[in-house]
Amino acid sequence: MIRLQDVTKIYDGGTVAVSDVALDIPKGEFVFLVGPSGSGKSTLIRLLLREEETTRGKIWVAGKDITKLPSWKVPYLRRTVGTVFQDFKLLPQKTVGENVAFALEVIGRPRTVVHTQVSQVLELVGLDGKAERFPHQLSGGEQQRVSVARAFVNRPPILLCDEPTGNLDPGTSVGIMRLLDRINRTGTTVVMATHDHAIVDAMRRRVVALDNGMVTRDQHTGRYEEGPSQ
Amino acid sequence: MTRPLYLFREALVNMWRNPMVVAGAVLAVFVSLTLALGAVVLGEIVRVNTVQWQDGDHVIVFLKGSADGITLESHIGLENEIADWDVVESTRYVDQTGAYEEFQEIFANSPALIREVDPASLPASIRIQLSDISRWRDVQLRLIDKPAVRSVTAQGTILEGISGLTTGLNVGALLLAVIQAAAAVVLIANTVRMAIYARRDEVGIMKLVGAGNWFIRIPFFIEGLLEGLLGAGLAVVTVALIRPWLAEAGSAVDLIQLDVADGFFWRRAAILILFGGLAGLAGSTLGLRRFLKV
Repeated sequence: MIRLQDVTKIYDGGTVAVSDVALDIPKGEFVFLVGPSGSGKSTLIRLLLREEETTRGKIWVAGKDITKLPSWKVPYLRRTVGTVFQDFKLLPQKTVGENVAFALEVIGRPRTVVHTQVSQVLELVGLDGKAERFPHQLSGGEQQRVSVARAFVNRPPILLCDEPTGNLDPGTSVGIMRLLDRINRTGTTVVMATHDHAIVDAMRRRVVALDNGMVTRDQHTGRYEEGPSQ
Repeated sequence: MTRPLYLFREALVNMWRNPMVVAGAVLAVFVSLTLALGAVVLGEIVRVNTVQWQDGDHVIVFLKGSADGITLESHIGLENEIADWDVVESTRYVDQTGAYEEFQEIFANSPALIREVDPASLPASIRIQLSDISRWRDVQLRLIDKPAVRSVTAQGTILEGISGLTTGLNVGALLLAVIQAAAAVVLIANTVRMAIYARRDEVGIMKLVGAGNWFIRIPFFIEGLLEGLLGAGLAVVTVALIRPWLAEAGSAVDLIQLDVADGFFWRRAAILILFGGLAGLAGSTLGLRRFLKV
């Protein structure tokens, strides 16, 4: 589903954010990207979204080499990849329902389909009855649920999450992780950058550790800190 | 059909939820285009009044009377002579009674002055309209030594002065209109740009969700277009409301007309509204360019 071949990203000014990273993530896998701040986790997510371009190497997403993708095709890539961020990135002037619907509106879904799918996904994330609220009227956990709902509403094959529990308390974080796990069980590939030890240790999924832009560990069912693979 | 309707609805909802930004843009257009349309109307008023002057009597020959031994026959003889000249379009004889009536009309607001003036003291005159007003000096020179002539007043001197003044005013009004129109585009571009800058995070989120550039652009275009049309519409309404008041003020002065023809006004108003819409679109285009890099 996702393949990185010797990917290097050097920012203007010479900072090496990602160095010779090679990864294969099959369909339906749940992968944690772990590592300290500045290790390259977020850059990797940005590269997968084509928010940044690689300096060297190739990236395939859903069978397409996105390093060769012309700019005008980038929106099509992003429609196949759901994204969840630490700061939720919700549109403040739109209601919960409108925020979620936006992901369907951009791909031209008819209004009746949009209405049905938005209702279904809001129910899935536990926000039915809150479609008319604005983001500022919700708690942090609820806002992140809206963000997950928007990312998943058009059933993308891949979900990229950059520190989705970074702004949430432990209890709320567990709720979000249950939701992501549920989405993963539908066959969606989930790649999640985090430095939340408790969550990684509790989930026991594949762990890819990064340090100074390089992959230092790749365990099939690992923990946050290095330990025996199971 | 869903998409155009959705995009139009998006623009309206954005406007509804950002009333201060919309008000700023509409006011920017309104002020600039009110001044631009005002300048266009002013230019037309100057033109209309100049034409009136050019249509009037170009040369007035004041005649000696019976006290100087000049008879009515001499007056008529002189008028017939002048009427035969190539450069003369038409002549009109105004006797002392006619001169007094005209005096009463001009000074209708000063009854004391009318009472003081003896009708017999006002001279008869021949009013000449020229076919070529630039030759008014030749006509004046040919008349000045005629025995029946007391004095010759050529409106040409006034015309030359007014012509210079009106040309200046016309050029000034045109320049003002062009500057205001340019200012409108810059102000709209700036206002829309600020509106988009305030919503740059929103634009970024839209792109992350997979919105194409045109999907993001079109609601902003519609917003700019509507703001431009609204501002221009308000400018037209304002100037249209000022027009009757100005015309009434002008009617108090005999020689000046402070109104323009309806046809002229509404044609320029339609152009202005079109310009407002285009300026809004141009403003949106300039404002969006920076924020749409992938």
